[in-house]
Amino acid sequence: MALLERTAAPAVQAPAKAAERASAGDILRTVIIAAALLMFFLPLVATAIFGFSLPGQGFTLDPLREALAGTTIGAQLLNTLNLAMLSTAGSLVLLVPTLLFLHLKAPGLLRFTEWLSVVPYVVPGIALVAGANLFFRAVAPGFMVSLYSLVPFYMVLTLPLVYRSLDAGIRALDLRTLWAASESLGAKPWQSIVHVVLPNLRGALLGASLLSCAMVLGEYAIAALLLHSTFPVFMVQVGMNEPRAAAALSFLTILATWLLLAVLARSGSGKTTAKGGSR
Amino acid sequence: MISPTRRRLPGWVGAAPLLIFLTVFLLLPIGANIVTSFRVKGEFSLASMAKLLEPQYLDAFIQTFNLSLLTAVIGGAVGLLLAWALATGKKPAWLQNLVMSFSAVASQMGGVALAFAFIATLGVQGLVTQLVLQLTGWDLSQSIQLASFSGLVLVYLYFQIPLMAILMLPAFGSLKKQWPEAAYSLGASRLRYLVDIALPIMWPPIAGSLLLLFANAFGAYATAYALAGGRVNLVPILIGFFISGDVMSDESFAAALVTGMIIVVVAAMGLRVLVERKSRAWHY
Repeated sequence: MALLERTAAPAVQAPAKAAERASAGDILRTVIIAAALLMFFLPLVATAIFGFSLPGQGFTLDPLREALAGTTIGAQLLNTLNLAMLSTAGSLVLLVPTLLFLHLKAPGLLRFTEWLSVVPYVVPGIALVAGANLFFRAVAPGFMVSLYSLVPFYMVLTLPLVYRSLDAGIRALDLRTLWAASESLGAKPWQSIVHVVLPNLRGALLGASLLSCAMVLGEYAIAALLLHSTFPVFMVQVGMNEPRAAAALSFLTILATWLLLAVLARSGSGKTTAKGGSR
Repeated sequence: MISPTRRRLPGWVGAAPLLIFLTVFLLLPIGANIVTSFRVKGEFSLASMAKLLEPQYLDAFIQTFNLSLLTAVIGGAVGLLLAWALATGKKPAWLQNLVMSFSAVASQMGGVALAFAFIATLGVQGLVTQLVLQLTGWDLSQSIQLASFSGLVLVYLYFQIPLMAILMLPAFGSLKKQWPEAAYSLGASRLRYLVDIALPIMWPPIAGSLLLLFANAFGAYATAYALAGGRVNLVPILIGFFISGDVMSDESFAAALVTGMIIVVVAAMGLRVLVERKSRAWHY
């Protein structure tokens, strides 16, 4: 077929052919996108309906309320929110000064740190928790007891995304010029950072924070295996016996994640992290 | 004004906090794990690593490999189509944004919430299962058991497809719109355009993304655990059992399982780096 077309098609027919191709292609594209939307939304809609209704009863919060009665969901939720905030703050405090320093004083090392930042990609959470269990049980047995011992591991897990998001934000600034200008006006380094650099990095800071929060909100493997009670761990416990309540909580979790990422897409850094998406 | 002492700080001082942090919380734990997997009773030994080849454990690696490969290939093919449709179509912007933002969420969503979403949809009491049962009498939950290998394939696709789409969108951006037009106007067929022009440019990012999808599935724990527990023999699940002490604890062998998994993931991601280096060489 293709062969025939190639040898026999006169040049005059080309535009008509192209138009035909385009319309057939458009139909195909519409079908693909419609199918994708359907497949993606079906489980979400089903989850919402399943979680917030009972057969023959319509919308109700009863399954959720019953499952949550007598549990300490508030505590788990608070644990997870605390972890999200602390991990995010920790990542920013570690990475922002490091990246600013390297961009200004030692750009040659950026290649190395960039390489370092993607190492967590080759270590799945389940492998990290196994290694951490071995290492810290031998070196500092008390460390893993605290809920907040999860913070550094969450910082490791989110490092590739957070690093990239911040680095892209800094690259988009003309950092050296900003710094030189600020310095020439007599600003001390901390003044330059607080009053000049950080306000200009707002978008990247927000983007990195949202990504970090979204990941921490859903993290299960590390928390569960180190026996810490976070929100996803609680969800699995509930889900064993109460599928409807688990569905309701899952739906709310997905919604929250979506909200975080939607804010991210609207913020300035959306442009830098999803550069390809905007063609 | 930068003080003279500041000025003299060597560059590596700036990288030191990050380096120390990663050493303590990533490199040393992984190092401890690898050392442990090669030590039995305080002496160097390959016994634990060799035990990985026992049928039960080898089977776990094969199953995990198959699950990762299958979801990477199917998810990759469908995700590629989706990326193509998104990148080349003229659709209302809101639709494009909706699909994009959805893909971003879904690609990050592997986890507990995803497992329960599928139980609510296709589980025994699931909404779609019940609907189909009432309409046609066909029990979906028997045909597609979520707590089985094929069930996991289905659920993993839910994050693999959007992940592939997100990864591939930039690559479609690098295909110039004028190229197919030029090729068609010179009489090339669509097939010839694909084979001679699009494919040579696209294969490195495609192969790289497939490898990432593979690694992504190989290390996934939460979804598989919440859906199947011990009913599917997978490496991450086995590791989980060892850590939580649900099976006879053999520290060295548990570490060997982790080392085996890291070897597979490092191989996949290493290959990805090689492939993508190739794509950069092509572009510049």
